[in-house]
Amino acid sequence: MWHIAKREIYDNLNSLRFALTTVLLLGLMLINAIVHLQEHPVRMQKYHDAATKSLNRLRDRTHLYQIAQEGPGYLYKKPSSLHFCADGGEDFLADNVHGGFYAWATNDLAGFWQLDYMPATLNRKNIRPDTIKIDWGFVIGYVLSLIAILFTFDSISGEREHGTLRLTLANSVPRHTVLIGKFLGALVSISVPFTLAILMNLLVISTASEVQLGTDAWSRLGIILFIAMLYLCLFLALGLLVSSRVRQSAASLVILLLLWVTFVVFMPSTLASIASGFSASMTYDEFNERAIQRVNELRAEYDARLQDMPEHPARKMELGGEYVIKDVTERERLSHEYLTQQHAQIQLARSVTRVSPVVLVQHLLEVFAGTGFERHQQFVENVQRYAREYREFVTDMDRADPESLHIIGTYAGMSKKTISPESIPTFEDTLSLGRDFNAAAVDLLLLTLFLVVFLSGAFLAFVRVEV
Amino acid sequence: MLTVLIRRELLDNLMTFRFAVAVLIMLLLVVANTAVLIKDYERRLEAYNTALQTEDRRSQDLKTYSGGRLHVARPPNPLSIFNVGLDKRLGNEIWVSHSFVPTLWDTGTYKLTNPLLNLFTSIDIVFIFEVVLSLIALIFAYDAIAGERERGTLRLVVTHPVSRGQILLAKYISAMLCLLVPLLMSLLLAVILLTTSTVVSLSIGDFLRIGGIILSSIVYLSVFYLIGMLISAVTRRTGTALMLAMFVWGFWVLVYPNAVLAAIAPPQTSQPRMVSAYEEIKQIWEAFDRERKQFLANDAVPGEDPHLGMVGAGPNFNQIWGSGYHHEYFHRDSSTLRYDYHAVSNIDKLSEASKPQVPHAQDYYRFLGPQIVKAAERAWLVRKQALETIFVQPAIVDRILLRGSPVGMYDAATQAWAGTDLHGLRDFFEAARRYRRTLIDYYYDKNAFGAQQWFSADKGAVDWDSLPQFSFQRSDVAINAARAFPDICLLLIINLVLFIGIFWVFQRSEV
Repeated sequence: MWHIAKREIYDNLNSLRFALTTVLLLGLMLINAIVHLQEHPVRMQKYHDAATKSLNRLRDRTHLYQIAQEGPGYLYKKPSSLHFCADGGEDFLADNVHGGFYAWATNDLAGFWQLDYMPATLNRKNIRPDTIKIDWGFVIGYVLSLIAILFTFDSISGEREHGTLRLTLANSVPRHTVLIGKFLGALVSISVPFTLAILMNLLVISTASEVQLGTDAWSRLGIILFIAMLYLCLFLALGLLVSSRVRQSAASLVILLLLWVTFVVFMPSTLASIASGFSASMTYDEFNERAIQRVNELRAEYDARLQDMPEHPARKMELGGEYVIKDVTERERLSHEYLTQQHAQIQLARSVTRVSPVVLVQHLLEVFAGTGFERHQQFVENVQRYAREYREFVTDMDRADPESLHIIGTYAGMSKKTISPESIPTFEDTLSLGRDFNAAAVDLLLLTLFLVVFLSGAFLAFVRVEV
Repeated sequence: MLTVLIRRELLDNLMTFRFAVAVLIMLLLVVANTAVLIKDYERRLEAYNTALQTEDRRSQDLKTYSGGRLHVARPPNPLSIFNVGLDKRLGNEIWVSHSFVPTLWDTGTYKLTNPLLNLFTSIDIVFIFEVVLSLIALIFAYDAIAGERERGTLRLVVTHPVSRGQILLAKYISAMLCLLVPLLMSLLLAVILLTTSTVVSLSIGDFLRIGGIILSSIVYLSVFYLIGMLISAVTRRTGTALMLAMFVWGFWVLVYPNAVLAAIAPPQTSQPRMVSAYEEIKQIWEAFDRERKQFLANDAVPGEDPHLGMVGAGPNFNQIWGSGYHHEYFHRDSSTLRYDYHAVSNIDKLSEASKPQVPHAQDYYRFLGPQIVKAAERAWLVRKQALETIFVQPAIVDRILLRGSPVGMYDAATQAWAGTDLHGLRDFFEAARRYRRTLIDYYYDKNAFGAQQWFSADKGAVDWDSLPQFSFQRSDVAINAARAFPDICLLLIINLVLFIGIFWVFQRSEV
């Protein structure tokens, strides 16, 4: 078996395609690294400036009522240091959630803060042409798979055409050994330039002082490489499968290329467009109308109850506090519902596109690089967790003060003690590898499933091949 | 003799497996995507119609001239189904007022249903052609010469009394005829889908533009066929030819268009130019503001409030003037060089106390209106040039870089035909600017600046009906053709060069 693999590798190493592959991959990875080194510091700087500004404004608040009413302000998503692995359409995802208040005030009451999920501000001024971002996702998903096909389309049909397959099989080697040998040969000969390109890319990126990769990032990179290898194997297996089923290598390549074009280039976007038509989220106008209606209802209810009430300041205050909190809870519930509908629509479309292996790989890369849609959902969760923490902090602080009336939502009913700025909880946007694994599990399993199916298909096809 | 050769080649090509697969895959992709694209167009058209209705309702609320915030919406282009270009990405709503000159950098967007849908890239018909057609052309071409040489049939053909040029021509013509089948069939199906759809309405001009797109597609197809043939003529073995052809394809179609812009760093946004232009515009408006203040200082109004109450709209605005609102502000945005002055007032009811002040306010606005227009025009002259160098020129450089690949030329040509290129979109903003002139003329015509209705609806609301409606016609087909012409010419030249190259190589090659 090793002989066969070795022969294959020697064959490949001397070929034109090996040289072209090496040049192509090195070039792409170099571009990737340079672009990352240019863009990443800018991105980080922007994030740090914005986050610091927001934090300073939070720290300026000293009164509990002010903290409870004005809220934490803008909460920013931390850019991933592995952005070069997968871009994940970050431009289309919001980079912040606003925890602020609507300005209304009446009867000594003022609107409390709520989480407001604003959509990303798209750059409408950009008149430069659209291009796909050259990230690892592109290099692996598109280029590597194409290369895998170009290395395997003739590995069996070509030998059959030349008659050398008969020679090989005349020796006392079992067929599956030949197949595995060929598989390994192709794998090694693509892995060499690919690894070279990856190493060069990481070398450029990690030696630059602007970008720091921690241990977490390195382990994520390891996982991404593993996924890339899995994906490469998948296309090699597909190539071997078609190559052993088809008599002529030209026909084999035609089939493979057209399969590749359909699966890699068209399926992801076409299927996503079709699938996003299956479900619809409410429009902004609908959402807005509902929110206004609900808020007005609550207001009317409050006014009515206030009218019925005999003069009783304490009860009145309680009613006011209750109304403020209810108002905020309802607003937040509605905007959360609106967001959930949007996310559900995207989620469905993303699930349907999983038919294509390139989508699986891109999802996986996004998850482990900490970019893209999954990451965005995690950010939203982090924000929501923080919002709960923040509100609990207000309640706890209020409860700790014996002089307070414990009516949250009103100025008079809350603790008047000053709060030290350091004790206010701050937002920390974290990533957890464990959660990412959970998010990636389905994609990973599907990818493995594809691989197993193609491998066994290739095996069966080759065993039954007539020489 | 040529016809015999062509017939032979044609039969050879038509009966192949690759021909069947090519036709099938093209039809499948084009039909599936056209359906999706029509659906998408429908959604955008719906959003556009909603925007128009909203604008209708909004314009009914405009009771005074100065409140005239007229919004103008850009309709989606039905030919964006062929090549979407910038049609979907740029803002599609802009407001027209006498106090600033609208450009494509000042747009808003009417609300889409789910902004996250942008995560999925959309594929247009030209993209399918760019990727698949070129691939199919290369697959047809790689063994045209190398294959015959390997099999030895080339020697047989050459022994006949036909010139080598004739052999090449026959091969080229027959293969192109074959390749036209999937191209025309899929385009025909797409056009049928378009015409049967109720939402898309195509004019005769649009059909001519589609014709232009088909023409460009054929020229593009021919380029890739000739590239394949050249490779085939140069190499000895079909295997090598195929491999080379595939790498050439991968590079030109997949890698180059995406990598070139990243590889060649964009010229850093000319920050000093931006700052200086902004400073210049700022000075124009500051000069305007000084004159405004001077006018107010000279025109002392009897009574306690020398500033008419409206200027600055202090806390006692409502006490002086009655009910209504007044906004007055400078809109500043240094990233797009916007700097302009707005004074919008809408007083529903005048209080008795304010009535003596009305003539003063009229005087003030009679002076102010033309001043604003003048300052806006002057600022526009500066801004126009600055925007051109800061935003447009890098975008044009990008497009020149993209033309390093035939894909870029084809893309540019079809965008020009469809009217979704930069020119086509700028036509809309040109129209918006013209509409602004119409609005100003209308103001002068009605003597609006000095009228009481400029700021107060006390004597009834403004009748906007006599203001001409905004309408935007996409440019003439001839203009589209003129814009597509350079790129088609480039593609034709490449065709010619390639053909001469092949001829030269083939004449000298041993069979």
